[in-house]
Amino acid sequence: MAYDTETARPDFARMTPADLDTGPVPCAPYISPDWFELERERVFGRAWLCMGRVEQLPEPNSFITREVEICKALVLITRDKDDNIRAFHNVCSHRLNMLVTESSGKRSIFNCRYHNWTYRNNGDCTGIPDIKNFFGVDKKQCGLTPIHCDVWQGFIFINLQAEPEVTLREFLGPYAEAYEGFPYPFADNAYVIESNLNVNWKQIADAFAESYHVAAIHPATIGNTFASKSLNPFGRPLSGHAYGAHRVMCTFGNPDYVPPEDAHVERLAYSGMDTGNVLGGSDSKKLQDLANHPAANPTKRPNWGADVSWIFPNFNIDYGPGGFWTHEFWPTSVNSTRWILRVHVPEATSVRERIMQEHLACRFAEVMLEDVTNTQAQQRAMESGAKTHMHLQDGEMLIRHSNAVIRKWVESGSAREALDLD
Amino acid sequence: MTDKNILPAGFESLEPFVEYWAGETNDIRWDRRSRASMPDIQAFYDAMLARAEDAIQHLEKFPLGDMPPAEERLFCLTLSLVHASIAVELHEQPRAIDSPFPHGLHVTRGPWPHGGGMGQSA
Repeated sequence: MAYDTETARPDFARMTPADLDTGPVPCAPYISPDWFELERERVFGRAWLCMGRVEQLPEPNSFITREVEICKALVLITRDKDDNIRAFHNVCSHRLNMLVTESSGKRSIFNCRYHNWTYRNNGDCTGIPDIKNFFGVDKKQCGLTPIHCDVWQGFIFINLQAEPEVTLREFLGPYAEAYEGFPYPFADNAYVIESNLNVNWKQIADAFAESYHVAAIHPATIGNTFASKSLNPFGRPLSGHAYGAHRVMCTFGNPDYVPPEDAHVERLAYSGMDTGNVLGGSDSKKLQDLANHPAANPTKRPNWGADVSWIFPNFNIDYGPGGFWTHEFWPTSVNSTRWILRVHVPEATSVRERIMQEHLACRFAEVMLEDVTNTQAQQRAMESGAKTHMHLQDGEMLIRHSNAVIRKWVESGSAREALDLD
Repeated sequence: MTDKNILPAGFESLEPFVEYWAGETNDIRWDRRSRASMPDIQAFYDAMLARAEDAIQHLEKFPLGDMPPAEERLFCLTLSLVHASIAVELHEQPRAIDSPFPHGLHVTRGPWPHGGGMGQSA
């Protein structure tokens, strides 16, 4: 496969913005219970948080439930008969029981299993059994407590402030501008990998935010596809940008990668495909729109691996020539995290395509295993207190930027101040 | 050999592998391969690889997601070959280098069909 020899140069352009401090970065935010309390109130309590995509509520009266452990929030998201997407606290108004216990389903009315109070999926309280023996209770005042909810390009966000200081659009700022009209192919179909990890949420987010580690940690799985001994031995990114509170990196893909001669099953799985990207899900023409979007692989180099786009604080929308996938990093304590990866692929239409998807899912799972299990050792090492700071190189800009933005939100009196909107 | 291990005519020689290797979800197939010894993985890989192209051509005569039980079994066995190949072709050992086991990662929803779906909504 041909590639631009210019891109083979080892001196890729610097990606760290000039206004970002380049000194060592303190590790206290990864291990300090006090800092975690500040993140609870000032980061997760004030930022817009992504809950998923509209396709997860595929038809009128679909619903999903979610949990934001760090804010102790139980979230019910509904789609009503007129296709309005709403979010509520998943809490009954009577004795404050958790209302809906399923993770997803289709219903227009929710019954509390405790005393059968009922609610419509627009939040209205529709039934209070034996209401005459209550003391002037008003059904109209007993609806579900709403959570501010907005949708951007099919992604559902909530804000847990009583009155959000900033709109979702203000929050996304230049990120939303850069990704206007971005296609999200196969958004209605995903395979999912999940784990509860003994690690600070930032540690696991950081693990997916640089490609400097690829050759070392993933020598067998993707070491030779996202790095190249001759062209890019240290997995230098092709480009990187900060977009307000958010950040993006474009990683290198080895254009010369082909499955080795003796990788018979890998060759069988990818027979009939013209994409060389092992994390790609399909060679559909729909993917051309993604590759052509100005925000994807912005320098439009042919040796493109994948882009990491990290929406502050805890959501990644990553994509490559084969489609997109998302990471969610939900803090459950200072050193534990619930992590969810969704990889969007088309529903298979043939046996051969299904086998290829099994290979993709298998390889992705192995890569994730290498990434996330390493972070648990890293968390223990950080907690040993041996070191107080970490040294980050230019290719690790996203981690530096994330730490700087979190610090800014923690130190700012308001979300508006943190976003420089005032 | 019980009924639940029966494969389509012509694939009888693979029937001894069905009980362990024809796991019905991606997560089960990953777990089985992770717990197997390298000689067992290699034996399954060698036997299944030799018949993989025949199996695919046979399975392609049936509708995806709606095959007779013996064909669905052969499909799961063929999908398991992919897992065996990760050990044989990538790691050259049953599991990823330096990775703990059990590791607590789960494919809670795999690709359709025979992916499994026990996690949150897709």
